[in-house]
Amino acid sequence: MNARAREIELLAMTMMAALPLYVTQTISAVPLLAFHIAMAAIMLRVITGRSPQVIPSGVMRGLGIIYVFFYVIDAAVISRSAISASTHLVLFIAVYQAMESANRRLDGQRLLTASLIFVASVATATHITVLPFVVTFGFLLFRQLIHLSHQDSVELLTARAIEPPSNRAAGFYVCGTTVIGILLFPILPRVRNPLVPGMIGSLTSASTGLSDSINFNEQRNIVPDATVVSRVWMGQEAIAFFTPLRLKGTIYEVFRDNKWLQGPRGLTPVQTRNGAAQIARPSGFNRRASVQQRFIIGTRLFLPVGTFEVIGVPQVYEYPRRDIYTAWQTRGDLINYDVAMAWTTNPLRIQRVPITNYPVTPAVLAMAKQLAGGQTDPMKQAARIESYLSTKFQYIPNPAQIGRRMTVDDFLLREHRGHCEYFAAGMVALMTALDVPARIVGGFYGGKLNPLTGYFVVRREDAHAWVEVYDGNGWRTFDPTPADLRPGNAQSGLLRAYASALNDSVNYFWDRYILTFGLGDQIALAAELFGRARNMLVGARHSARRTAAQVFSLRYLLIVAGFVAFGMILYLIAQRRRPAFELLRNHLRTCGIEVGPSMTMEEALIELHRTQPEIAAAFAPLIALYEEEQFSPHPVAARELIRQRLHELTVNR
Amino acid sequence: MSFEFDGVVRLTKVGIAFLIFTIFIGFAAINTGNNALYIALSFMLACLLLSGIASKGGLKHLHVNFDNIQEAWAGRAAEGRLHIANRSRIWNVRDVVVISSQLSSPIFIPVINRRDEVEIDAQFLFERRGLVQVNTLDLYTRYPFGFFFKKRRVRIRGEVIVFPRLLDMSIADDRFRPVEGELHPANRPGIGTDIHSFRDYVRGDSMRQVYWRKSASMGRWIMKQTEIEAARVVHVVVDPYKSRSASDDDFEQMISEAATFIYDALHRNLDVMLSLPRATLRARASESSTPIFRALALLDPSHEPIAQTIDRHSVVFAVRKDDERASA
Repeated sequence: MNARAREIELLAMTMMAALPLYVTQTISAVPLLAFHIAMAAIMLRVITGRSPQVIPSGVMRGLGIIYVFFYVIDAAVISRSAISASTHLVLFIAVYQAMESANRRLDGQRLLTASLIFVASVATATHITVLPFVVTFGFLLFRQLIHLSHQDSVELLTARAIEPPSNRAAGFYVCGTTVIGILLFPILPRVRNPLVPGMIGSLTSASTGLSDSINFNEQRNIVPDATVVSRVWMGQEAIAFFTPLRLKGTIYEVFRDNKWLQGPRGLTPVQTRNGAAQIARPSGFNRRASVQQRFIIGTRLFLPVGTFEVIGVPQVYEYPRRDIYTAWQTRGDLINYDVAMAWTTNPLRIQRVPITNYPVTPAVLAMAKQLAGGQTDPMKQAARIESYLSTKFQYIPNPAQIGRRMTVDDFLLREHRGHCEYFAAGMVALMTALDVPARIVGGFYGGKLNPLTGYFVVRREDAHAWVEVYDGNGWRTFDPTPADLRPGNAQSGLLRAYASALNDSVNYFWDRYILTFGLGDQIALAAELFGRARNMLVGARHSARRTAAQVFSLRYLLIVAGFVAFGMILYLIAQRRRPAFELLRNHLRTCGIEVGPSMTMEEALIELHRTQPEIAAAFAPLIALYEEEQFSPHPVAARELIRQRLHELTVNR
Repeated sequence: MSFEFDGVVRLTKVGIAFLIFTIFIGFAAINTGNNALYIALSFMLACLLLSGIASKGGLKHLHVNFDNIQEAWAGRAAEGRLHIANRSRIWNVRDVVVISSQLSSPIFIPVINRRDEVEIDAQFLFERRGLVQVNTLDLYTRYPFGFFFKKRRVRIRGEVIVFPRLLDMSIADDRFRPVEGELHPANRPGIGTDIHSFRDYVRGDSMRQVYWRKSASMGRWIMKQTEIEAARVVHVVVDPYKSRSASDDDFEQMISEAATFIYDALHRNLDVMLSLPRATLRARASESSTPIFRALALLDPSHEPIAQTIDRHSVVFAVRKDDERASA
């Protein structure tokens, strides 16, 4: 590879390092585009055999000085972020160095700058697709470093040597670095500095089906979004009880101006005992489940319906509304925790539950009474209404198909069609008409079982609304939306489902073991290793007792003796094959002389002469023998003799 | 920045920059708890670790030998050949620099593949005459990434007899012109073509030397004796006696002068006979002169005067008590 090709590769590598910044949006696109245009212009000049100086050297240096002041303005006024301003600065330096390289060698500095840009890129990239990018960058970086190392050596010696190709070497070192990096990653201490909040927040520009209110004055426009919101594991025996999953995210219980709004605000820390935050009282069948959740609304937790305990979250708050929970976590956009779920849950404290303020019209009241059919039990009334709506009303997956704004009364009395929010709001209106406390719950429904990893994956497009009705003790779930048409129940072909599962498994691995790997995981890993070691020890102790009788039988003793004899033979052979140097070194060590890797036996002898002349006199012939064996054109087999003499020396001492 | 340093490892500028960068990323990772930074940190640490392992592993398995140098003169570059074998099963080594005080300049080897051997021409430079032990060579490399300068001192074993330093030939021409052998008759029997004298046959004489006419006239075997070809022989006597007042440098200078004289004489197609206290060596212009120079190379000073036979035409080299340089 000639110098020009090498230069082009370096320029391309630097440009490539900045590419993920377009996706992560750490800085705006304008400076990024300016950087790439400048670098492309430099590259074009290099390709055509001209100097890389697009701008004269003097002007560029002047710009460099001016940029120091501009950096302060950028950080304070333009981008208002030290990170963004620093990234702009590094991009400027990369362009400056590329031009300045015409005057002096700056390869090392340029590689460092490219690495800085690269780290700025990957630091904010949370998707697994960053991996091929990392490997490609690593390969190019290693090639450049190998070349740089060669160049420096040649220049120091003022020698001329053809540089051997470095593709295989770079590939080899990329593989090696990857292996060592994978081994290092889980053991690097995750001890955080509590004073610095960190660079990572929740997902930027996140869109979700969950909103602050259900506004029937405007048409809803739902864009399918396959982003994973949560992954939930549970035992086989729990699946029948707790699926389809409902992850509760929002509660709407106030009606105003044809809008359903959230209930009163609240901020109550949930008491934690033994790492578990109890949020309800369980009743009936209960099991644990593990959850990995992405924060899409602040740090709000989307807890499965039936959850009565949250385990593994340092502090849980009932915030921002009653019965909605938030984790205290300042960094990261993913969280792992466990939940304990019960078939039925009741509030920890007796609550005063008001009936919603929905303005019930006589027509709705009549409809409600008709549907209740003389039932007085609120649960039975709710069941009848749920059944009616889900069978007699038409579900429209896309709200845009309705074509116009529609009130809840319109939905109940005239249209008889709508999406899940209309179904939920309609049921709440009917329950209100019957003077039964009810509320709309927004969250996610369904979740698909990933057969490869055994978890249920819930995505943003699974956003759904359903109803909770108060039975006097607690809130019970009802869903008037036709079951087979609910968002989380959409079916896909087998092949597509399998591909989706495979894709999600890889993403899960990335999210769980890379992005969210933390101190807790390290402790768990250490505990597991410790537990396994202890189990092995205990198992060995038990099996030792069991097998003791067998071991002491004649046959086993003979086998063991055979193995011991074989081992001894191997040891003796190894001893006989030990190089004379090693024998002498070991003996010298006993005399207090450490023969290092860059020390000859003669030097060791001189040292011995200095410290212990008597021993040195006895030792000198042995070293002469060793040297004769090692270096003479007609070597003699002196190793055995050396061993014998050494033995004699040891005995005499 | 030079290659040589004490110890076995040294950080390069690139290495220092990379190390600072790694520490910076480490702090950033700890401060933010960002696992993307932890990935970068893991890879950077892996890079440093692998760099150290690779350079150490590569140098560790290098074995060096050199061919004995046939003719080495003090102060002059002598051609030799280094054999460097990489016995590693894993590591190729690149950019290896071989440095030794006995090499005239560092040697650069671009690549030594694993389980391979390279042969490199090397120029040795010895400052003093005598038996020189070549014990160690230093191998340096900054491969693979140039973060570290790794050094390994390899033990080799080789002996080289270094001939005395030759002085400037133009000086030798001036100083030794009057003693050219062809200007002086030998006048003593020896190997030659001119008849010097006759004598009776003694047992062991060659029949080719019988002077038949004289033998026939005298009735007994008379042998011809030829006159030594003194015109082509220079007799050099080197007196190794070094008085207490004379320095080692004086002695070495005397040896160098003797060697230069002999070298010059041989180049003029003269034969040289060198007399030392316990040996007399003869070199013909057409034959190898190695034994003579070898003897001069190994000649140690004597602290006692030694009696040596000197004839009228001998050229004597000695260190005088009064510090006067030996001269022809």
